[in-house]
Amino acid sequence: MNSVASFTVPTVTHAQKSAEGLAEKISVQSLDFFYGDNRALKNINVSLYKGHVTAFIGPSGCGKSTLLRILNRMYDLYPNQRASGQVLLDGEDILSPHQDINLLRAKVGMVFQKPTPFPMTIYENIAFGIRLYEKLPKSELDGRVQHALQRAALWNEVKDKLGANGLSLSGGQQQRLCIARTVAVRPEVILFDEPCSALDPISTAKIEELIDELKDDYTIAIVTHNMQQAARVSDFTAFMYLGELIEYGETTKIFTTPNDRRTQDYITGRFG
Amino acid sequence: MADVALQSGTISVAEQVDRAKVLQRLRLGDAAFRHLTRAAAITVLIILGGIIVSLVHGSWPALHSFGFSFLFDETWNPVTEKFGAIAPIYGTVVTSLIAMLIAVPVGLFIALFLTELCPMWLRRPIGIAIELLAGIPSIIYGIWGLFVFAPFLQQYVQPFLISAFGNVPVLSNLFAGPPYGIGILTAGLILAIMVLPFITSISRDVFEAVPPVLKEAAYGLGCTTWEVARYVVLPFTRVGVIGGVMLGLGRALGETMAVTFVIGNAHRISGSILAPGTTISATIANEFTEAVGDLYTSSLIALGLILFVITFVVLACARLMLMRLNARLGK
Repeated sequence: MNSVASFTVPTVTHAQKSAEGLAEKISVQSLDFFYGDNRALKNINVSLYKGHVTAFIGPSGCGKSTLLRILNRMYDLYPNQRASGQVLLDGEDILSPHQDINLLRAKVGMVFQKPTPFPMTIYENIAFGIRLYEKLPKSELDGRVQHALQRAALWNEVKDKLGANGLSLSGGQQQRLCIARTVAVRPEVILFDEPCSALDPISTAKIEELIDELKDDYTIAIVTHNMQQAARVSDFTAFMYLGELIEYGETTKIFTTPNDRRTQDYITGRFG
Repeated sequence: MADVALQSGTISVAEQVDRAKVLQRLRLGDAAFRHLTRAAAITVLIILGGIIVSLVHGSWPALHSFGFSFLFDETWNPVTEKFGAIAPIYGTVVTSLIAMLIAVPVGLFIALFLTELCPMWLRRPIGIAIELLAGIPSIIYGIWGLFVFAPFLQQYVQPFLISAFGNVPVLSNLFAGPPYGIGILTAGLILAIMVLPFITSISRDVFEAVPPVLKEAAYGLGCTTWEVARYVVLPFTRVGVIGGVMLGLGRALGETMAVTFVIGNAHRISGSILAPGTTISATIANEFTEAVGDLYTSSLIALGLILFVITFVVLACARLMLMRLNARLGK
């Protein structure tokens, strides 16, 4: 089957969108990405919807993480990496050279594969991001920190040791600290790049629960190697292979009746 | 069948004995290794102890006859055999202070530029230049300082400093007097150039060791490069950076040849940093050949002991500072 035909969101037409209340938050249009001369993404078209979780699955090296790193222009940190095409956030092209990158990254938060607490106290880890944008009195800042930690389901575990170093927490707690830190700056979109691959099953379950709670307020994209995880947490799933978007649609459809043979082979574990 | 089973499964008695022998030999080798490494480690303690003992022993006549006033007396008179160490101590501390004031920020900025901002093609040339700077022998800094740098300072920089700060209350004392060219400031500047590569290359190495994903996480919050450097890179690498700074400070305190060339070798304390002075190591290097009297020699050795103590105190302070930093960061 022709992959070009299948990735144009067959399950969601424009008319259905308004009927189901789907609002497009991010729209990726004919996106290409290059590491030097190596074309890592080929003509990607995909939409992320407000209040929904979109999962990106596919074998290693297929470009899932690369796609995620375009959405907050993380690739800008490295020379020889460039993107062409359009990525619209609320209708504005974030790839344009006029885009304020710091502002973009405040709107599009990211949680990484490995927990990355900053070398400071738990409290400072959260307050740091808030202070970048807002001058708040101490009491209000305390409130924001507490709220962020509560949202990340970490408050009860750390409320008595906010002065301890972020690195003293367990791996799962560190990852939730990073989620709290991301939530604290009030982004609109949160990108999760394999957030659970370094965690034990219990921590993984907690983070999946968290993603489910967060999706009411944010637009969420998650890259995962764990197919069950994609099925559990996401509303939409995109299957990528060798830099191409093979199939994109509602998660239930992708996991039950995929259109493309390769999608079916991958989700049933025949390759990848 | 039985033969095969024997060969593959069990070991004959003769072979067992062999194995015991081999093991015995290995044990001997291991014991020898253990003792050798321990002996090497103990050698360090013996050498250090020996140096301390001989320094204390050698400086005893001077310390005995001058007492504590040796530490506070400015006199240095070989004719009347009256010696005091405060002028060289002052010179050592002030030149090192000037060197660190300049070299630490500049070195950190170079390292941050190299690791965070520098385009790839410029990284290697600057990196190599720094390694080369570190490889220049101190005698070359000395003659360059005396014949090129000091006249330059005398002609252009010092007159400017004197006229610029002449009417500012505190600074007018600091930059007073005729522009000699050589002096405390010149020595401090030369030292700054000499310790700069140490601070830079060590900081660069530890900055490079910061996990990229940690920096990405900070950039991902919307941090600017400066904020990432200030709040993530520097705190993450503080132990290594302080180590590099201390290594530089150690070199600045003990540096002899280059300083001897440009400091002026005057045994006095002056309020102005343009005036000539001396340091502990410069005094020893200049005067050990002409030290005839026992008290004179002993006073020079006492200076060495003081330098040793200063270095030790500096290292101890660095440790203390690290401990307090860690406590504040909640580790």
